[in-house]
Amino acid sequence: MTIEKFLESSVSGWMDPRGEDSDIVMSTRIRLARNLRGYRFPLSFTENEAHQVDQLVTAALVDSAEKVGTTFSSIPMEKTTTLDRQILVEKHLISPNLAKGQIPGSVLLSEDEGISVMVNEEDHIRIQCLFPGLQLEEAYEQADTIDRIFEKELPYAFDEEFGYLTSCPTNTGTGLRASVMMHLPALTMTNQMGRIIQAIMRVGMVVRGIYGEGSEALGNVYQVSNQTTLGKTEEEILEDLQSITEQIIQKEREARETLLHSEQPVLADTLYRSLGVLTYARIISTDEAAKCLSDVRLGIDLGIITGVDVSILNECMIFMQPGFIQKYAGNSLQPNERDVFRAKMIRERLTIENKTTTKGEKPHDV
Amino acid sequence: MICENCKQRPAKVTVTQVVNGEQVNRHYCEVCAQNLHPFHVEAAHQDPLAIHQLLQNWFNVPTQESTQRAQSDQPLKCDTCDWTFRQFLNKGKFGCADCYDSFRKQLPGVFKRLHNGNTKHVGKTPGGFERVIELKKQIESLRAQMQEAVAEENFEEAATLRDEARMLEEQLKNGADSA
Repeated sequence: MTIEKFLESSVSGWMDPRGEDSDIVMSTRIRLARNLRGYRFPLSFTENEAHQVDQLVTAALVDSAEKVGTTFSSIPMEKTTTLDRQILVEKHLISPNLAKGQIPGSVLLSEDEGISVMVNEEDHIRIQCLFPGLQLEEAYEQADTIDRIFEKELPYAFDEEFGYLTSCPTNTGTGLRASVMMHLPALTMTNQMGRIIQAIMRVGMVVRGIYGEGSEALGNVYQVSNQTTLGKTEEEILEDLQSITEQIIQKEREARETLLHSEQPVLADTLYRSLGVLTYARIISTDEAAKCLSDVRLGIDLGIITGVDVSILNECMIFMQPGFIQKYAGNSLQPNERDVFRAKMIRERLTIENKTTTKGEKPHDV
Repeated sequence: MICENCKQRPAKVTVTQVVNGEQVNRHYCEVCAQNLHPFHVEAAHQDPLAIHQLLQNWFNVPTQESTQRAQSDQPLKCDTCDWTFRQFLNKGKFGCADCYDSFRKQLPGVFKRLHNGNTKHVGKTPGGFERVIELKKQIESLRAQMQEAVAEENFEEAATLRDEARMLEEQLKNGADSA
């Protein structure tokens, strides 16, 4: 299997809209940070150590992959072009930090891209499992399976007092970061997000826009994750996040009800206009595309817009990013050319979809 | 001025960001500005910055520095990676797993602030590690029994116990290397 497989398609397993509350929770991610005993952390180790760690980790997983029922492809950063790395970042398969390629590292990807193991990012091992919808337990179980495979083969850096030893003190202990990616358009439209973010922060969780920190959440997509990794068990961390997520879902549903009942014609007009833009625009920026995709998604969820499949929107959200656009275009584009190309891609994707679903069926399910 | 990102084209766009309450101006060319904002994931650049800034603010207070110096002239340092405690605070990262041991006394203060007052791990333990702890306990108990046997001049039993302890020590050594 080559890297091309992972680059050509903008569709990953986690985009498949299924699972409970999948209209609001787009995906669940579990990340475990681990390090090997006897090797310094990537920030201070030598190139020789880096290569040894890479070989050990890769061999350990590839040899026992059958236990997880999938095969893993190893993609070394050194042999990957900058553009291809950017695409892996845009698909959330690797971190921007690994993509920088300053340290010899690699990523091990499962066939369906649900599991990615980064080698020599900030830590020697970063296990990441992505699931569609809200599936914290399922995602953790899978990450735990991978963790146990490594634990059998390799000596982990672990301390009775501090737990799993990680490069960053914010990950020490369980090394677990659990996060859910949520689409919260109604809470955003009704100006409630600021208050909610503050409340969440008070209970030891973090909220950020999925595309970049600090900036306004693009496309109304937010990521909620645990901040504390020490002094809490894995189960407690997952339970706390689950409970916060359920409360946010509840609030978002209430806000959607309010929108639906108070300003129906205005709301429908806004959402349909966005569909109009996506279907007919000739030039579209990432910002505008993200906003419109969010509107159409909300329209589908509310039963106002029919005949568009949500998975298409997830896909558009990924392939409209700069790296993908470049890759599809096959040559480097000026910013204005990129907007033209982006508009064309989205238009085509939506048109294909319309042709296949105009049989009167309503694919949405609220 | 050239673009901070590509370092090729002239900078034409100024992006003002507020990071941890501090205003930062970044200068990009049109191409990079378009690329970076807002889809470029900046979390990786900002996260460590935030942490090391927090750590520095918390621990670089003069009083602590002077008490540290009073204790010894040598700066607190990890022998495995050569990083000092000061370096750890500046970078907000550890150089290696042994740093945790080298700075063991200072770390609870750091963790308390980062992890909601918590300083001790209560989660999962690697399977191999549980075996290691158990082996250590068994060896300890065998040694105690051996001492008793010696005290009672029961040398035959003491020899058996010693051999058993040695066997476990061997296991511990192998287990610890391959666990």
